[in-house]
Amino acid sequence: MEIMTSKERNAAILAGKPVDRVPHFPFILGFSARNVGYPIKEIYSDAARSYAAQSRTFAQYGVDWGPLYGYASYGTWEFGGEIEMPTGTYQQAPSHKRFPVDKEADFEGLTLPNVRTAGSLPIAMEFSRLQEKNRVPISVIMAGNFTLAGNLCSVGKLCRWMIKKPDLAHRLLRLATEHIVETVGHWAETFGAEQLIPQFWEPMAANLIISPRQFKTFVLPYLVETGERIERMGVRHVLHHICGDQNANMPMWAEVPMGNPGLCSFGEEIDIDRAIEVVGDKAVVIGNLDPSLLLTGKPEEISERCRENIEKGKRAPRGFMFSVGCELAPETPGYHLHLVHQALERNGRMDG
Amino acid sequence: MGSPGSQEEWLKQIHDAVVDMDEEKTPELCREALEAGIDAYTAIMEGLAAGMDKVGKLYEQNEYFVPELLLCSDAMYAGLEVLKPHVKVDEHATAGKIIMGVVEGDIHDIGKTLVKTMFEAAGWEIFDLGKDVKLERFAEELKNTGADVVALSALMTTSMMAMPKVIEMLREVNPKVIVLVGGAPLNEEIARQYGADGYATDAIQAVVTAERLYSKAN
Repeated sequence: MEIMTSKERNAAILAGKPVDRVPHFPFILGFSARNVGYPIKEIYSDAARSYAAQSRTFAQYGVDWGPLYGYASYGTWEFGGEIEMPTGTYQQAPSHKRFPVDKEADFEGLTLPNVRTAGSLPIAMEFSRLQEKNRVPISVIMAGNFTLAGNLCSVGKLCRWMIKKPDLAHRLLRLATEHIVETVGHWAETFGAEQLIPQFWEPMAANLIISPRQFKTFVLPYLVETGERIERMGVRHVLHHICGDQNANMPMWAEVPMGNPGLCSFGEEIDIDRAIEVVGDKAVVIGNLDPSLLLTGKPEEISERCRENIEKGKRAPRGFMFSVGCELAPETPGYHLHLVHQALERNGRMDG
Repeated sequence: MGSPGSQEEWLKQIHDAVVDMDEEKTPELCREALEAGIDAYTAIMEGLAAGMDKVGKLYEQNEYFVPELLLCSDAMYAGLEVLKPHVKVDEHATAGKIIMGVVEGDIHDIGKTLVKTMFEAAGWEIFDLGKDVKLERFAEELKNTGADVVALSALMTTSMMAMPKVIEMLREVNPKVIVLVGGAPLNEEIARQYGADGYATDAIQAVVTAERLYSKAN
């Protein structure tokens, strides 16, 4: 097979057509900033600089998918709370400073944000226009329903309310769901539903925090509803980043509508074989090397683990893209990312 | 059900109230237990702490998860608030002294909160520095308190990178201090590379590891 360009590779995998080699899907935000000499903060505060940092880094390291804009604390700022941009030596992403909801009375003033003006959404829209201009996949990235609800009141409060005041938890989840659907709708109107790949990150639904029973009650129904409403808009592919150890949730993730194919990226805690078994018939599987390995591992170990990951992932029937299980640490040695590209070239060929 | 009669019954009711996540009933029972003549320290150790011990087991058995742990912790602390002022200070030694905090740059503190609960239940004296703790603060607190153990937490890979520096600062104050680390991006190998003495995957293991290392050192 002829060597494809990155754009050709991405298009082929979404269309269910053969690719020449396994594509590299990025989770490389702060690293990109450091790589080109920008402050990490600009990845989240400046659409143009964020796009430039990522696209230059991707060109350097052979990353196939396009640049992305998003962060896990999404929702706090948009609903009227405060976040802090990463400026300290040891900060790599925006963090919560003040949640919109501290007590039950705070629900009275809580309304759906204006999807054109709230929080980071103007920056995200500017970023998506750059994606469109450069003909890379257009995304809108938000926290998943449950994580977004947690970002409104703190994960600790949401956890407590789930048991003691479930009505409040459901109110937050309803707000999160309506906001997600409205925001995706706005992006779909702007760029065309068939061009858009919404992305949802769901770290708070990990089994390190909640039980599978709690996932079934407080996460799954909202994921299913959101997926159905987004599909009705004409969106063809939805990406879910299934963060952390969600092994016990896996069978339920298979029930979530996510397009045809959907895309599922997994934390390093989930074996790729299991991911393929559960969602491989409906989604492109993405993942899932441990980013700590790239940060501190020895080159030989990195190359071998990449090879193993790629060999497993290649078996995914709807396609596979290599990625790290969670965001690459900004301090990761560049050489280690080069080893990833080397492994993809060496072991990622799909035509033998 | 009427008030418990024997000490054993009082302690069981306090234990059960913690396990049942009852933040109203636990302190109420503690107040009534004191009025009934139950020793405060006994009520803490054999009521509240025993309850948290059961909670820890339920967590390990995947019956309880973080939401349940947080609520049990709230119940325990509500009971402690009632009982602690009545503990005869000189009578009972603490297990040890521990400083804990989430390192600079990181505001994720649920794990640290649960670790604190379990150490409290195990009878340790705790110096909780909170979250996003400046690196030098750990060493300052060690100088001020003479703690036996320092526990560092991080959820983000970048904040984890601060740990080797913190550990170096701690060793300058006391080369023999026991350093524990925990948090999602860490593992045994990284903990070893950073110079930590121990690594724990969860709050229950944190206490087990600390007590093992503390016993060995003393």
